[in-house]
Amino acid sequence: MTLSEVTSISGEAGNFEVEVLKKPRYVDMNKCIACGACVEKCPKKVDNDYNAGLNKRKAIYVEYDQAVPLKFAIDAENCIKLTKGKCGLCEKTCPTGAINYDDKPETVKLNVGSVVLAPGFKAFDPSVFDTYQYTKFPNVVTALEFERLLSASGPTLGHLVKQSKDHEEPKKVAFFQCIGSRDINRCDNGYCSSVCCMYAIKEAVIAKEHSGGDLDCAIFYMDMRTHGKDFERYYEKAKDDGVRFVRSRVHTINPVPETNDLEVRYVDDQGKIQTEVFNMIVLSVGLEIDGSTIELAKTLNIELTPGNFAQTGTFTPVQTSRKGIVASGAFLGPRDIPQSMVDASAAAGVAGEGLAPVRGTMLKEVQTTPERDVFGEAPRIGVFVCHCGINIGGVVDVPSVAEYAKTLPFVEYTADNMFSCSQDTQDKMTQIIKEQNLNRIVVAACTPKTHEPLFQETLMAAGLNKYMFEMVNIRNQDSWVHKESPEKATEKAMDLVRMGVAKVALQNPLAEAQLQVGQTAMIVGGGLSGMAAAETLALQGYETHIIEKSDRLGGNALKLYKTPKGEVIGDKVAELVESINSNDKIKVHLNTTIENVDGFVGNFKARLKENGEEAFLDHGIAVMATGGKAYTPDEYMYGNDPRVLTTLEMDEKMKSDDSLVKDADCAVFIQCVGSREPERPYCSRVCCTHSVDNALELKRRKPDMNVFILYRDIRTYGEKEYLYKEARDAGVIFVRYDLENKPKVSVDNGNLKIVVKDHVLNRDLEIEPDVISLATAIVPNTVNDLAQFYKLPMNDDGFFIEAHAKLGPSEFATDGVFLAGIAHYPKPIEEAIAQGKAAASRAITLLARKEIFTSGQVAKVDPVLCSSCGICVNVCPYSAPSFKTEGPFAGKAEINPVLCKGCGLCVASCRSGAIHHNGFDNDQIFSQIFAVNA
Amino acid sequence: MSEYEPKIVSFLCNWCSYGAADLAGVSRFQYPDNFRVIRIPCTGRMSPKFFLSALREGADAVWVSG
Repeated sequence: MTLSEVTSISGEAGNFEVEVLKKPRYVDMNKCIACGACVEKCPKKVDNDYNAGLNKRKAIYVEYDQAVPLKFAIDAENCIKLTKGKCGLCEKTCPTGAINYDDKPETVKLNVGSVVLAPGFKAFDPSVFDTYQYTKFPNVVTALEFERLLSASGPTLGHLVKQSKDHEEPKKVAFFQCIGSRDINRCDNGYCSSVCCMYAIKEAVIAKEHSGGDLDCAIFYMDMRTHGKDFERYYEKAKDDGVRFVRSRVHTINPVPETNDLEVRYVDDQGKIQTEVFNMIVLSVGLEIDGSTIELAKTLNIELTPGNFAQTGTFTPVQTSRKGIVASGAFLGPRDIPQSMVDASAAAGVAGEGLAPVRGTMLKEVQTTPERDVFGEAPRIGVFVCHCGINIGGVVDVPSVAEYAKTLPFVEYTADNMFSCSQDTQDKMTQIIKEQNLNRIVVAACTPKTHEPLFQETLMAAGLNKYMFEMVNIRNQDSWVHKESPEKATEKAMDLVRMGVAKVALQNPLAEAQLQVGQTAMIVGGGLSGMAAAETLALQGYETHIIEKSDRLGGNALKLYKTPKGEVIGDKVAELVESINSNDKIKVHLNTTIENVDGFVGNFKARLKENGEEAFLDHGIAVMATGGKAYTPDEYMYGNDPRVLTTLEMDEKMKSDDSLVKDADCAVFIQCVGSREPERPYCSRVCCTHSVDNALELKRRKPDMNVFILYRDIRTYGEKEYLYKEARDAGVIFVRYDLENKPKVSVDNGNLKIVVKDHVLNRDLEIEPDVISLATAIVPNTVNDLAQFYKLPMNDDGFFIEAHAKLGPSEFATDGVFLAGIAHYPKPIEEAIAQGKAAASRAITLLARKEIFTSGQVAKVDPVLCSSCGICVNVCPYSAPSFKTEGPFAGKAEINPVLCKGCGLCVASCRSGAIHHNGFDNDQIFSQIFAVNA
Repeated sequence: MSEYEPKIVSFLCNWCSYGAADLAGVSRFQYPDNFRVIRIPCTGRMSPKFFLSALREGADAVWVSG
């Protein structure tokens, strides 16, 4: 339901009534074929919001080329017909009669059990800052505008130009960080927007790529916050690539007379005032919640945080204050794509917990036609060439192409259709296939990317195997791109049809492998993320086993003291452990290790050693929640003086109110101990917040205690930033140090002494603390054997590599194996729990299907030709090939069709030519190559 | 030489470049008609034999994108 707005939600969890206002689109979605003919005729130009207003769109539009659904809409505020009653050109132009000016708003009522809120954010509007002169100078742009300028689908096709009238390429670009974030004087967004440091670096790097290496990019920042997975490496690489990082907040921008350039004044690290001229200034604007979302939250009775994000608990990270309503994405706080994906899956998992009893109760069975056996028949090919209204027919001579197709080998029938995708044409095609006894079909029309499944359904309805089909792209890759040369476009269409016919003639019916998915889940690791995953799986009805190597559940959380929100972690963990132990769907295996795993998705078999005894566990899916531990430091006198503690040891002392802490008059926290160093070039993400929170707690307990935090960049991202401010207000002293100039810890006359160079004073500072807390790096647990059993990749730091860094953070490329918690990357409690729930949720999408049908387009070994060289086994990213262990062809490779993704890497790599690729076999691709020329 | 029009056989990965070529159409980018696309499931599918065969069939160039 697009163009729709929730106006109210009444009722309670399990039985909500949702009222939705469906606004008019003025275009019938069933009729619109997204041909774009209307856009060409529409006379009204409007600022294009998608390109940040940098170019124009029409009043009838689709927001961007990849939009889903790809259907046009009329912008009623700007449409001449709807505002003035005149025009009507789109209605006259539309080849399918999809325009409906009389479309009316409609109220729809839905009865649902759970609700997920994902209203997103809006970018901060810098017009309110006169200091940055955003509205005054065209070459001051927001990062979103800059992003569109760099995009291949943007207004300049990715070519970076100044926005002043000269449109020259810039030579020097400055980025200003924290515009609208971490600032309470001007705009009231006190939080850190979390993503801007990283996107600024990315934009600077891409700008340099697009404009050549001599483009100068300088990023002006307060703290560089690259706390995401692999972000610190990216930051270091950007420095190596010549992006300049200037730690300063610019206070003035002045135009350079008679040019379009801008002079900036700032105070550098040494306290000196500097001026520098730039051609463009990019404002790294923060994220904020839109007013309409705040209204919605009020209507729905959802509590918000001071930053207007959804209020949640650390241990219930996606649960809003109203039961049955969960949230995901930036509504939970400013966040990047991977975190949004984690939240989204977690929200779906938690929403599903309430719906588990009714799963599958509203499904309808699909009617199928029995498949005709065409084995041994000579090819009888039908070719259908589509006009797509005037989209193809207006350029390509469609009847001639159809006529030409008749002359090709094995073609028994050809036709041209006005709209091949319309229901009546589909029915007609079904009839023709049956009447003409066709056994292979070519459709020359738009693109297989959107329409192959539709035509395959037509084949199935006619009793043909759906793979006896080839789609020829004569719209997106022909008529639309060769408008000016219809003859050449027609010639190309004929060539492509000839190639398609040649390929389909060699096509055989393909079978789709079917696989039963074992309905049991195994979770490796009984820490917070593992327990969170188990809870969601069990609440959704699946038998779940937690494998824990130690003698108790809880993991690292057992050592922690409290959350920044004040929740006592020990109590919360005890509650969670109790709920796990009392759930009869969950079986906890303590003191248990995994000795071996066989099998594949849906059918794994693990050999366990439980309390020294061998045991076996069949499982359909597995979750890796193997966690991490604190790095043991070998510097700052750790281990040589009992007053030097790690953060976890500090937590223990604070829990027990130990005299070391109670009697201290001076405490020092040292950040980045073992993190962000050449040996461990990543940020451990949680330590800044943890130390700031502990420092604050010390100040609360003893306000006159001297508390110092020695840091490199403070990374209290999101609303954690409030803690940083609170700590400064409470008198915690923050002293920055460099990696090259680390603090020196010594013992002088029995007293601890730290010497650190203060950047503000530009001199050494001596502190005599009574206790030192080292914010140690988080390192992953060693799980090489598990990685080998399930064939899971790990990065240089020992963290698992997920299926996709942005879009698949909680799963592996290996089917049926999922990922959560610190094993993925260091993260705080709320993120670990969210990812546990996300992994469970992703696993449930597989478990709920009970059986999987895989594609027929997979690789297949001819064992007679196989030379057992093992290349296929080595190159496959999905572990699909293996050596047969028994039967007549033992020792030869075989490919598990369930795991095969049909990429063809093994086919191309096989030195014996023993691997066939169903649907893309060598003879088929050669036949296309041979058919390129008539 | 100004009338020389090369014949190019292009092998495009279904998941990225083939989709990109579709999007170029949606955006109505106009480009020369010198190449013919063969859709492959992944550039990992690309075999040296395909290059050689295309050249032997008279292609002036082979373009693999993925």
